Amino acid sequence: MEARIPFLEVSDAIIYSGAETLYWCMQCGLCTGTCPYRLVPGPASEEFNIRLVQHLGQLGLEGFESENCLFACTTCRACVDVCPRGVEIINNVVGMRRMLAEVGTIPPSLKTIAGSLHSQGNPWSGPRDQRTAWIKDVEIPTFSEQTEYFLFVCCTSCFDARSQNIARSVAKALTAAGISFGIIGNEESCCGETIRKVGDEQLFQNLAQANIQLYNGKGVKKIIVTSPHCLYTFKNEYPEFGGEWEVFHYSEILASALSEGKLKLSGSNAGAVTFHDPCYLGRHTKLYDPPRELLRNLPGAELMELARTKNKSVCCQGGGGRVWMETAAGERFAELRIHEAVASGAKTLVTACPYCITMLEDSLKVLGKQDELAVKELSELVAERT
Amino acid sequence: MDQKIGVYICSGCGIGESIDLDALSAVADEEFQPAKRVVHPAFCGEEGAGLIRSDVDAGDINTVVVAACSGRVKTDVFVFDPMTTILERVNIREHVAWCQPAGEDDTRMLAEDYLRMGIIRAQKTKLPAPYQEEIDKTILVVGGGAAGLQAANDAAAAGYSVLLVEKEPEMGGHMAKWNKSSPTKPPYQELEEITINELIDQAKADERITIFTSATIEKIAGAPGMFDVTLNNGGGTHRVGAIVLAAGWKPYDATKLERFSYGTLPDVITSVQMEEMAKAGKITCPSDGSEPSVVAFIQCAGSRDADHLPYCSAVCCRASLKQSVYVKEQNPENKVFIFYKDIRTPEQSEEFYKKVQKDGTVFIKTDTAQIAIGQGSERKLSIEAVDQLMGEPVLVEADLVVLAVGMQPAVLDDPILNLQYRQGPALPELKYGFPDSHFICFPYETRRTGIYTAGCVRQPMMSSRAGSDGTGAALKAIQAVELTAKGKAVHPRAGDVSYPELFLQRCTQCKRCTEECPFGMYNEDEKGTPLPHPTRCRRCAICMGSCPERIISFSNYSVDMIGSMIKGINVPDEYEEKPRIVGLICENDSYPGLDMVGLRKLQYAPWVRFIPLRCLGSVNLVWIADALSKGIDGILLFGCRYGDDYQCHFVHGSELANTRMTKIQETLDRLMLESDRIRLEQMAIDDYEKIPKIIEEFTARLQELGPNPYKGF
Repeated sequence: MEARIPFLEVSDAIIYSGAETLYWCMQCGLCTGTCPYRLVPGPASEEFNIRLVQHLGQLGLEGFESENCLFACTTCRACVDVCPRGVEIINNVVGMRRMLAEVGTIPPSLKTIAGSLHSQGNPWSGPRDQRTAWIKDVEIPTFSEQTEYFLFVCCTSCFDARSQNIARSVAKALTAAGISFGIIGNEESCCGETIRKVGDEQLFQNLAQANIQLYNGKGVKKIIVTSPHCLYTFKNEYPEFGGEWEVFHYSEILASALSEGKLKLSGSNAGAVTFHDPCYLGRHTKLYDPPRELLRNLPGAELMELARTKNKSVCCQGGGGRVWMETAAGERFAELRIHEAVASGAKTLVTACPYCITMLEDSLKVLGKQDELAVKELSELVAERT
Repeated sequence: MDQKIGVYICSGCGIGESIDLDALSAVADEEFQPAKRVVHPAFCGEEGAGLIRSDVDAGDINTVVVAACSGRVKTDVFVFDPMTTILERVNIREHVAWCQPAGEDDTRMLAEDYLRMGIIRAQKTKLPAPYQEEIDKTILVVGGGAAGLQAANDAAAAGYSVLLVEKEPEMGGHMAKWNKSSPTKPPYQELEEITINELIDQAKADERITIFTSATIEKIAGAPGMFDVTLNNGGGTHRVGAIVLAAGWKPYDATKLERFSYGTLPDVITSVQMEEMAKAGKITCPSDGSEPSVVAFIQCAGSRDADHLPYCSAVCCRASLKQSVYVKEQNPENKVFIFYKDIRTPEQSEEFYKKVQKDGTVFIKTDTAQIAIGQGSERKLSIEAVDQLMGEPVLVEADLVVLAVGMQPAVLDDPILNLQYRQGPALPELKYGFPDSHFICFPYETRRTGIYTAGCVRQPMMSSRAGSDGTGAALKAIQAVELTAKGKAVHPRAGDVSYPELFLQRCTQCKRCTEECPFGMYNEDEKGTPLPHPTRCRRCAICMGSCPERIISFSNYSVDMIGSMIKGINVPDEYEEKPRIVGLICENDSYPGLDMVGLRKLQYAPWVRFIPLRCLGSVNLVWIADALSKGIDGILLFGCRYGDDYQCHFVHGSELANTRMTKIQETLDRLMLESDRIRLEQMAIDDYEKIPKIIEEFTARLQELGPNPYKGF
């Protein structure tokens, strides 16, 4: 085997791109052992060894660039939570992707996404003027200085036909709870959380600046989001660029409305339900209770827990840009969740993230388990009972 | 002394319920006619203890035999002036009442035999006359490095005169040539200045410390309290009481590491050279004086390697981490690679390791013994290694390669002390050439009484630990001179005032004692007659066990004493389910183990009579012959573990006993007896749970063999 020659100038560039804790890694491999790719077969499982990826980065060596390696990471944070050295592994992954993005060597499927974000402000190639098409026949107030909350709907729920129902359900539930909220409209742009994880830092910053200018201009002080991904970036990444607001996931707002008696739930029996914690709601934001409070208070609901729950939840595989990439059937994390949900005895698998809905529903169909299990967004179950 | 024996039998702690004390009292009265014999429910209580004390104070009694609990407990209650009163503790609690069924005949017979043996032991004990000579309490410290200076300063601060001998013209040892030290204080991030000069100044300023530099030791004769130290080059002869050897270490010879091209490629250097270069102010490549921009460290260079040093030197990882900081400090753009097997950063040094990692040093895990170093193409050197974390070979080019070589003791090929001992001029070594006595229990101890090691001469260590080692060894040296002045033994029988007395008229000059003493107590005259040096003695009595003429004894321990105890055992003529076994056991581990059996109320067969010994090495073969010819069916010996990880307080006592037992085959054959009648077990205190099973198995084996044919003769 020919000896490989470390190239520390490359390592320096990776660190400069944001992998600041790259050298903190002592190569114990706990990250690799914790990674959900160990739970599935397939090329990504075989190629993506996050411990090795970081070591290659430390030595400035090639070999981690493929879609099945560096770009396999879903940024689910399972590894970061167990790292004994406090390595910011996601930042290291993003730093390495960023370095590749700068020279244009990101997976081809992601280039289309970036193009759509540039031109339309959303990743789904939806025309900007159709951003509010999800509203259909529902009445949604427009945000004004008198409105308490600005409701930001995730691009996925703006343009994806299935996901639009989430946006409508959130709006319906908020209305039922008497919350003062409004949308801004077609001028809104994608929050940019996921494209930043993919490595396109410039595009993220453009999107963030456009949003910040828009929201601040409208006098936004508090934001309700429909997706945990938007929640994460608004809360944690926007302040650096001048976007400082109070940001809430809709489940937080609805859960407190419920406890204050402002939201009343009635109607059909919810039956046996279980909850899949989205990575960005759970591990990234540590919100485990509000969705469960809502589920417990659905009429006739019995909440069962999945075998791997809360901070041990297994990623749906939609984060970190994977939602825009293909994973072969039989190799998908979401399939594990469907099996686990069926095993839990629940009839409905509930989650609270548009990416998770996409991934879980897809696997439900692939596995042909529609007769045993339904996949629902939390807001849908709530809205149906307001 | 005219012995007036008092026998005090306690009925408390369940003893009275278990043992027929009237019968036990009758044994004392009828067989020994003691001056006093009292049964009381609590001799450890105020009233009971008062009874004994008033008998002693009134002069009615001068030999106290207490049949009660283990002699290891209530030592504050049963305490008498050892110079005027003999005390014998007979353990009928842990060794009888708590491990045998109450009220049985066999239980009674066991207690009776223990009482007989105890009274006999007391009868055979003489009041001691301590060995006291004019002694000198000066402490000799050999080596003026981190450990030696600390030892000298601390001994002086405690009021002792100190002789400090340093072979170099200047003191300070390796530390004086060091640039910085790795972090010793929270948050363990910053390198620290070397502070050895403070210790040197302190030593120079202390008038109790006499310093000899450029001096070595020509010879040391004598014994603790009276060592005569002769320095070379006319440094004269000086009398000292105890010695701290802090001669330090030397780096492993890197020229033996051909694979690393040391000596052929000038830019391959050792960590010692690196340190001295940093101290001089600038790190450069020896080949052309240029400043290196890429530096590679090779860890375990010759360490943890069966062909070189098999052990870990414990400090090299931290040294390289520290030196990698030097490289980055010289130019922040510099790159550092550390090739390692495992990074070992004990104590709080993990924090420093993290800091070095965070600062960008590149770590490559590899079997460093397989690294090949050659001439580079773009830089001066090339390093080829298999990156085990990648599973592929890597090729790194560097301007300078630093071999992190291990430590070897300075005494490796120079005895330094040049002792005038029959067993040789050097301190005996334990492993890898380090002179240590016991690496678990007794740091600083060597196998030469009154001589203690400190710092890297005894074990690789950081300078900070070498300093505290110096303190520890100085304290041991002080203990040695103080106890020696009183005629008392040092550790582990600290305070024992007995010492070996030899009836030399019968000596056959067989030299077993002079060879087998673990502490080199005996010198020899030209004919081979032993010349005892009692202050070197640790009182293990291994010499007593070795002597075929049985001419060595102590005032309170002798061949006759134990032999008489064995003969005092009542052996039933009829074997019928009543075998008799003598258990000769080490008092340091096995006896407490047997106490544990009692404390845990584990039960075992009533056939064994245990006799505690100072060391299994003190077993004289005549005891075995005595026992077997008396009709004892079997002999159990419990001693400490031996071998590389020995646990014997006296280094090789149990091993010697084992050797002697294998030789006893001949005796057994002569007596027409089976060798299975003797069994030696290695035992630590925490092996106590095995004791009942060992007894059970041994009894079963004896039953197969049948009764000792000498029974009844």
